[in-house]
Amino acid sequence: MENSIFLTILYAVISVIFITVYGLFLNGVVIKIVARVHGRFGPPVWQPFLDIIKNNAKRTMISHGIMYFLGPVFRITGGIGTYLFIPAIYGSVMFSNLSFSGDLLLVVYFIFFGQLGMALGAGESGHPYSAIGVSRGLSQMTAFEFPFALSIVSLVIQYQTLSISAIVAAQQGGILNWTMITNPLATLAGVIALLGMNMHSPFDIVIAPQEIPIGPPTEYHSAFLGMLQTNRAIFNAAKLILFMNIFFGGATNIFLLILKTFLIYMISVVIGVSFPRFRTEQSIRFFLKYPLLIGILSVVISIFRQGV
Amino acid sequence: MVNPIYLIVLILASAFLLALLHRINSFFAYLLFYLVNVISLTVSGIWSAGLLSGNNTIQIFTAGFYPPYSINLQIGIAESVILFLTNLILFLGAIYLWEKFKKEGVQSFILYLTLSLGFLGMILSRDLFNLFVFLEIASISTAILIGLNLDQRSISAGFKYLIAGGLISAFMLIGIIYIYKDTGTLSLDLLNAVGSTGFSQAGLIALFLLFAAVLIELKPFPANGWALDVYQTASPGLAAIISTASSGAVLFILYKLLPLASPGIIQFIIISGIVTFVSSNLIGLKQTDARRLLGYSSIAQLGLLSAAMGLMGKFGIDLLSWQGILIIGGLFINHFLGKAGLFWISGLVDKDKIGDWSVLFKYPPLSFLFGCFIFALSSLPPFPGFWAKWELILTIFRNGESILAFLILAGSFMETAYLFRWLIKAVKGYNSSSDPSLKIKLSKLFPIFIMFVLIIYFSLIITNLKSGFNFNLLLPLIGGAIFFALSWLPARLKTILLLFFLALATYYIYPRLTGISRYFGLMFSAGSMIFVFANGNSLKSRSGIFENLTILISSLLLLLTVKTTLSFFYAWELMTISSFLLLLKGNKSARSALTFLLFSIASAYLLLSAFGLAYAETNSILWESLAMLETFKIPVFILLAAGFLIKSGVAGFHIWMPGAYAEADDETTPLFSAILSKSGIFGLWITLGIIGEVAFKGLSFSMIIGWLGILTAFWGSLLAVFQEDIKYLLAYSSMGQIGYIILALAVNSHTGWVAAIYLSINHLLFKGALFLAAAGLISRLQTRKMYQMGGLIKKMPLSFITVLISIIALSGVPPLSGFGSKWLLYNALLEKGWYLQTGLAFFASTIAFLYCFRLIHTVFLGQGKPAHKQVKEASSWFIIPQIILLLAIMILSMFPHLFLQPLSNTVAHYLQPDLSWQGNTVFSSLGYWNGNLIMIVTMIIFMIPLIWLLLRIPAIKKVRQFNIVYAAERPDKPETTHFAYNFFAPYQKALGYLVKPVATKFWLGMSEAMTTLGAAFRHIYTGNGQTYALHIIFFIVIYYLITGAG
Repeated sequence: MENSIFLTILYAVISVIFITVYGLFLNGVVIKIVARVHGRFGPPVWQPFLDIIKNNAKRTMISHGIMYFLGPVFRITGGIGTYLFIPAIYGSVMFSNLSFSGDLLLVVYFIFFGQLGMALGAGESGHPYSAIGVSRGLSQMTAFEFPFALSIVSLVIQYQTLSISAIVAAQQGGILNWTMITNPLATLAGVIALLGMNMHSPFDIVIAPQEIPIGPPTEYHSAFLGMLQTNRAIFNAAKLILFMNIFFGGATNIFLLILKTFLIYMISVVIGVSFPRFRTEQSIRFFLKYPLLIGILSVVISIFRQGV
Repeated sequence: MVNPIYLIVLILASAFLLALLHRINSFFAYLLFYLVNVISLTVSGIWSAGLLSGNNTIQIFTAGFYPPYSINLQIGIAESVILFLTNLILFLGAIYLWEKFKKEGVQSFILYLTLSLGFLGMILSRDLFNLFVFLEIASISTAILIGLNLDQRSISAGFKYLIAGGLISAFMLIGIIYIYKDTGTLSLDLLNAVGSTGFSQAGLIALFLLFAAVLIELKPFPANGWALDVYQTASPGLAAIISTASSGAVLFILYKLLPLASPGIIQFIIISGIVTFVSSNLIGLKQTDARRLLGYSSIAQLGLLSAAMGLMGKFGIDLLSWQGILIIGGLFINHFLGKAGLFWISGLVDKDKIGDWSVLFKYPPLSFLFGCFIFALSSLPPFPGFWAKWELILTIFRNGESILAFLILAGSFMETAYLFRWLIKAVKGYNSSSDPSLKIKLSKLFPIFIMFVLIIYFSLIITNLKSGFNFNLLLPLIGGAIFFALSWLPARLKTILLLFFLALATYYIYPRLTGISRYFGLMFSAGSMIFVFANGNSLKSRSGIFENLTILISSLLLLLTVKTTLSFFYAWELMTISSFLLLLKGNKSARSALTFLLFSIASAYLLLSAFGLAYAETNSILWESLAMLETFKIPVFILLAAGFLIKSGVAGFHIWMPGAYAEADDETTPLFSAILSKSGIFGLWITLGIIGEVAFKGLSFSMIIGWLGILTAFWGSLLAVFQEDIKYLLAYSSMGQIGYIILALAVNSHTGWVAAIYLSINHLLFKGALFLAAAGLISRLQTRKMYQMGGLIKKMPLSFITVLISIIALSGVPPLSGFGSKWLLYNALLEKGWYLQTGLAFFASTIAFLYCFRLIHTVFLGQGKPAHKQVKEASSWFIIPQIILLLAIMILSMFPHLFLQPLSNTVAHYLQPDLSWQGNTVFSSLGYWNGNLIMIVTMIIFMIPLIWLLLRIPAIKKVRQFNIVYAAERPDKPETTHFAYNFFAPYQKALGYLVKPVATKFWLGMSEAMTTLGAAFRHIYTGNGQTYALHIIFFIVIYYLITGAG
């Protein structure tokens, strides 16, 4: 028993290290791609690593108070936790993580944990930009979560389970079994919601460069910022893995995981470099129109198919 | 026993003597007057005592002949009791009117004596013509007494009274003449032997005219304009007599004539009574003149009483049977004592407009009496009217006249509305200290006080009798009375006493509960104890709070233990009153209190109709009997569900809720939101539990309730987002949370019910903690607007922690307990196949993040206000209960299975279980969840970055809150830098159209429409005596046409 606890912890640590490294590289690659689209050369792909090391090595720091101090801790706990509650690779003991703690609902709700903590920390910094960023972010979040929730409901009707592993298992045996093919509307609603979650343009209203410069993390710097940047990589990758699992057949090995998540991420990236930013209320209205309709449609169709 | 003839002689002789004596020595004249009153009272008292102890009915035959050759008098139990009450009110009225009479001269005393003679004859005589004579004596005396008040309006009212009296006499005489022609006798006993079947067609018309005349004496709609003017302008002392003693005597005539009534005439009495009851109350809605208001209420009550008499006749219920006495006697005594008390108080206050009645507020004992009479007239427990109305409504339902029952309830609702509007104006109205104080004379206070004592006495008797001497029913009131007696003690001592009292109550009640009721018992008792604690914050005595808290909490506990719908309704109404009174204690709660009361009463009446319908089918008032319903299953279910949903503040009916929670006293609000809000849930649970799934042509009512629940959750959350007032935010949030609970209950599955109870307990913990924290904040900052706060985390760290933990628990973010409730809810919904509801529930729960963040950010984070530099942490009377609640949340989060497993087992007694356990992991058919493990994992992950940052602490320099800068841009002042007002402006732009106050507008429109309708009816009362005479003719003609005279 003790041995198994020890092993679980060891596997979790390895898994987290993997996702951190992968996430950071993924960010590096995307920065590079975006730069090329802009016609710049761009930083090297390992730039995120350098940033984190630099930030953690700063000699001076400022604290605005205890909640400010804990904000990044909450944030990264949310990121790592989200990742650890998702089985990353189907069939792998090492990468099934701690998914026995809870099901899809847990993961979906755990995503909020970090966001809430971060928002609180940013709030204590006392900077109005932080609060404005949080206000925008939360507003947009409610909007894209609605179609996302409906797409999940549609999946539950289809697979009659909330267990992520079981959903992945049901998609094995070829691309024709993926949710993408068997339930395209749910996938569409989910992926549009993902665009909002990833907060690339046109949904980058929280960070909003040049408008409310860098939003909630405005006052964060040095090791705090380093922690936030690390989280950004982990959290991003965790979301991609979640989407890969529920919509795109999951992955049976690391290479497939990297390939699929990279491709899923490219949807956000391509749209991000192509569109200008929404205003907050535009973004809210956007999600509550067609994506919501698609979500409702996917649920209705699933009910109908289940009935047949 | 004294022969009544002597009494008549005594009164008559004294009346003549008075005029003489007065010239000799006025003192002896007055002495004689009061002596006669005392003698009448004593004699009738002796009669009542004798007859009640079993003596035979006395028959007196005048002149030694038997009818039809002479007039006979009868003194039975009914006669003696009515006579005693009449004499009592006359005696007290004489005391009350002492000053007025003395000023007006001896003729007042004489007329008063002849009036009492009239009443005596009306009650005792068994001869039609003799009755007419006594009626005339009484009428003429009254009219002149009114006119003696030498004010133009009074004289005109007295004259109109005479006109009406003349018309009535005419009709009555015609009736009597033709009856004599038809039957050859005027003796009631002989006529009764003939019965209405023995009359010819012409005789029936005569009978109709006789009844119409008696009814018009009872002021039916529309032939009652004259009476309204009398009530309004006569001296209140006299109006009290007219409203109670005169009406009582006329009602008694009606009672005596009732055996003669043909079915058509009975129908006539019923219809006229109900129409009068409903229309008078409708018109009363718009009324702002206190005495005219009382006039409308009097007329309405008489209408109800005559209708009730007619109904008893129709259903063949003997008025002297237990049921008849309960209904007619209860309604009568209620009206008799309450109305007299109110008229007399109106004389003391001496303000025409109910808006000016706020002077009453300066005299707490008088306001207390006033409140008691209003409660009695609104037929709230424990007053006689409550029991009488219950019995009446159930009897009507039982006899298949549902529509009449609904009409009566509608009328009662309107009556409650205007009576309570008046009460609220009196105790909460604008109070300028420049108002001259009242001249309170002992001679005027004494009669009022006697009325109060009597009404309490009758309440206790009837409560004891009707509840089968169930002492438990009186416990809440006894508790309240104890605290009322102790109200002079400081609040802290009373807090401790109340805690002790609650501990006792819990100890007593908890073992008597089983199953799911136990969980409600836990909430109502242990939960209340936590919230009661906060009342110790005040150093003052906080009078009025502890009494009502005691009644409220013990009636909640009583709700759980009762077995019959009657006791349930009783406890439910007690809960309504006490929470209303608590709400009234808030600073600016007048408007909210009225809204709260109206919705509560409406909900209660829906319940009453449901109980009535159920009784009609099953002939039982046991809760369990509802399970056997077949014919009325659907309507009973709908009525019950509607009643409980309104009380839970379901969307559309929610408008009472925010005001009630926000405007109540800060210390009691936590209890309102955390505990009281669960009463509706409890009711809904019993309904679903006993009646079960109900569907109409495949349309499941549970599904409709579910949709209502989720819409409530959605709108509650959305409305909370846009509030600037911290208590309104929390109030709307409560609405949203209650919506989830309703949704979960409606699923009607094992998981659903487990989720509902779990959500309820969770809501109790976090919302109670939040309201307590809000109370602490308001007590320190003296504002409720959140944008006027800010940056308080360092000043009030404990309150911050409370809010932090509570909002995490509220929003459902793991690892705290809120996630468990959300997980259960979604699983229940998905298993049930309520998919779109799941999506909407999820959306609503994300909206909760918005207001949660706003709550914590705008209050505790961001920039502080310079004015709040010296603010300290809230008092420990607020903090200690918060800590207890937080501990409970943490334990529930850490070890959810410790609570969930027994809960799940309990619910399994009711429904097929679909949750299973493996260690600490709970499995549904869809997913799984291990709260304990999640908590541990989260804590471990949290520790790693925390340690990393802690290692960097030496490098950290602390800066002040306002030390912020971006790109060399330095903000000006902290108060202009705090981003708080209209925090979710873009959200308002995008979705603000969804929260337009549609429901509020609808209900305001409804109330406007009702009052306008009332006002429209009011136009028939032109104040012109000729018009009023025409109304009387119309009344007779129309009813003759409708009923065909029999």
